[in-house]
Amino acid sequence: MLNRTTTPSLQQIDKIDFVKPLVFDIAGTTKLFHMKEVPNDTSRLDLYFDAGTARGEKGIASFVNGLLLSGTDTKTSVEINGEIDALGGFFESGISSENAVLSVYALKENLLPILKILVDAIEHLAFQTHEVEEIINDRKQKFKVNMEKVSFLAQREFQSRLFNDSLYGRITDEKDFDLIEIENLKKFHVEHYLQGLQKVVIIGDLPDVEIHSTIELVKKWTVTKNGTYEKDLQNLQGEFHVDKSGAVQSALRIGRILFNKTHEDYHDFIFLNTILGDYFGSRLMSNIREDKGYTYGIGSMLAELHETGYFLIATEVGKDVREATIVEIQKELTRLQEELIENEEIELVRNYLLGQLLKSADGPYSMADLYLSVEPYGLELDFYNQAIESLNLITPKRIQELAKKYLNWEDFTIVSAG
Amino acid sequence: MIKFDRFKLKNGLTVLFHKDVTTPLAVVNTLYDVGARDESEEKTGFAHLFEHLMFGGSVNIPDFDAPLQMAGGESNAFTSNDITNYYDVLPAKNIETALWLESDRMLSLAFTPKSLEVQRNVVIEEFKQRYLNQPYGDVWLKLRPLAYKVHPYKWATIGKEIKHIEDATMEDVRGFFKKHYVPSNAILCIAGNFELDTIRSLTEKWFGDIPGGIKPARVLPAEPSQNEYREETIERNVPADAFYYAFKMPERRDEGYYFTDVLSDALGRDKSSRLYISLKKESKLVSEINAYITGSLDNGLLMISGKLNEGVAFEDLDKALWSELEKLKNTAIEEMELHRLMIKIRTAREFQEQGLLNRAMNLCLFELLGDANGVNIEHEIYQSIQPEHLQETAIHLFKKENCSLLKVKSVKHAE
Repeated sequence: MLNRTTTPSLQQIDKIDFVKPLVFDIAGTTKLFHMKEVPNDTSRLDLYFDAGTARGEKGIASFVNGLLLSGTDTKTSVEINGEIDALGGFFESGISSENAVLSVYALKENLLPILKILVDAIEHLAFQTHEVEEIINDRKQKFKVNMEKVSFLAQREFQSRLFNDSLYGRITDEKDFDLIEIENLKKFHVEHYLQGLQKVVIIGDLPDVEIHSTIELVKKWTVTKNGTYEKDLQNLQGEFHVDKSGAVQSALRIGRILFNKTHEDYHDFIFLNTILGDYFGSRLMSNIREDKGYTYGIGSMLAELHETGYFLIATEVGKDVREATIVEIQKELTRLQEELIENEEIELVRNYLLGQLLKSADGPYSMADLYLSVEPYGLELDFYNQAIESLNLITPKRIQELAKKYLNWEDFTIVSAG
Repeated sequence: MIKFDRFKLKNGLTVLFHKDVTTPLAVVNTLYDVGARDESEEKTGFAHLFEHLMFGGSVNIPDFDAPLQMAGGESNAFTSNDITNYYDVLPAKNIETALWLESDRMLSLAFTPKSLEVQRNVVIEEFKQRYLNQPYGDVWLKLRPLAYKVHPYKWATIGKEIKHIEDATMEDVRGFFKKHYVPSNAILCIAGNFELDTIRSLTEKWFGDIPGGIKPARVLPAEPSQNEYREETIERNVPADAFYYAFKMPERRDEGYYFTDVLSDALGRDKSSRLYISLKKESKLVSEINAYITGSLDNGLLMISGKLNEGVAFEDLDKALWSELEKLKNTAIEEMELHRLMIKIRTAREFQEQGLLNRAMNLCLFELLGDANGVNIEHEIYQSIQPEHLQETAIHLFKKENCSLLKVKSVKHAE
């Protein structure tokens, strides 16, 4: 008779193979990383620029980012997009406080032809008045729509309190959109794109000759002076509320400045964070969703910046249970500080994290991203072997110690909106 | 090409196996042939609420997620108007844990009152978060009953109203399970680096003794062909006027489904699409515009939606939009445009096929449609599409009497 009550025997993950991409020097500090081992025709290209939102005057970076394919003196934006589409390319541009990343997804034989179109579009970007006016108009409308969302309101308030009066804490208002001047956009484009290329990534089975062609194409944009990044930040502690009439839910954002991968407590803190709020069985999910039914979801994370990082708990809850939720979150933090964790929970989280790491290393795209998340800190893939080692050595006492050190309510910025 | 093996257990459970030697992970995907379209109009939102309950413990196992996490895996699920799909991703060497868990919840659930009460609340919060507390969030709750008068697509997966979820009883839950969660109503796909023999014996071991049950017959009221233009305007506290044009389109098994998909790409997938160029870049009527299909198994919708620029009247947009639709009816699209649409479809497909989970889900879906190998044939259908197919489809689709329009009129708040 089949025994359905006990779990089938489990096998430990004993080894994960980490593969490093090939590294090519472009010029100065700018490098190209090539992950060649892709067993199909897909490919991806990323271009990293020193063009994050903390650079330049408030709001400028994001507009330049949005205008990159808006036309040259000889080509309209429609023509540029049409050419990329005709090669089956998917173009994305993303921006964070610290950099801007342009990505292209395409079949490998089309990647270089698309890059040529992209290089021409960016090099000769004309900032035509009608294109600038159009994006300002679109962004204004999007901004107004976003201001109707409690999640956006909370995130915005949190960012300004967390990063306080640093450059990362600058938030845009509707009126900022009217202050955008074309001359400032042009200046930013020259300084942060045409002289701002920090890194190139290619994933795909492209021949070496195409890698060298890529280098030749983008070399002229190599970053000339690397900007500095904010460090030694201090979040503004205390509770802050943004009112939104008519909301049926409140958004909560609770967190503090912390650290990134270079910190000695990093690996163990990731373990603690997972227990608290970073998987489906986490304490926050178990209590606030699965026991109380206050929310559709709640989670915590450690977000990393170049020189620092921050810890964040985020959720949307019924308006009537906002206070009750805050009390429960606080309780969960205190519980981690006061009670030692049972070995079974440690083992579960350890196995779960090992499984996640196995997944993060599965396939060339994931593997490349794994490498790219340590490379900026001067770390190598051995970082993940250390992570596995830490997973195997962690103790209930160590977790409690970290909870006492980093999860004190009085150190937090607590934001609600709704 | 996605290769697979297929066999059926005695209890009627269809098993698909997809071998991939390159990954250390395994996927166990279970599709149940039940969605919101199978609900009664008085008790909507049930298929989705039930999906939540499937994580609340089964007859022999008090907690679904913890043992899977202990095995290094994770799990999730989604419900649509057509199907309910569950998946587990875990290290291949621990595959048995996923089979143990999935088979036990197919055998029977724990049905605890606490689980029902909590998940009712969770789903109500989901309802608020996605549909009520977002600008334009309730559009689909309004649009579905406008476009469908008879077919159960007239309500959203989340349910018609919160009250239906509040009123769900334990008796409803048990009945739903008994009727729909039987092996003969499920398709299981296992993907990973295994041998077929291993998969045969493991599935027989864990799923073989579950009573087969009877696959419930599906008799849905067919939506009569629309022969009147429908329009509704709602006023909302939102910053911009928005429009949602819905055109009835062929069902998933019809080749017209693919023609309509490509038509929607031509109209509004990319920044080189017709509506984007004409209505946004040239005449500056809209700030955003998109065209897409709902992907439904029964007759679905081709959607054209977007937001008006300030000061633009709905009537101006309507005129310009129909004039673009007329062009598709009157003139066959050029080879170059068709080529551009096709290479994007091919590129997107290559990327999607990379994911093991994606392959497993697609195999199950196509098996439900009649043959898992459809996943491989789909590509050929797309590549064989000719300009005249699209023109004929456009002529058939883009008629006023086949259209339902929902307008969201912005009313400014009192500050």
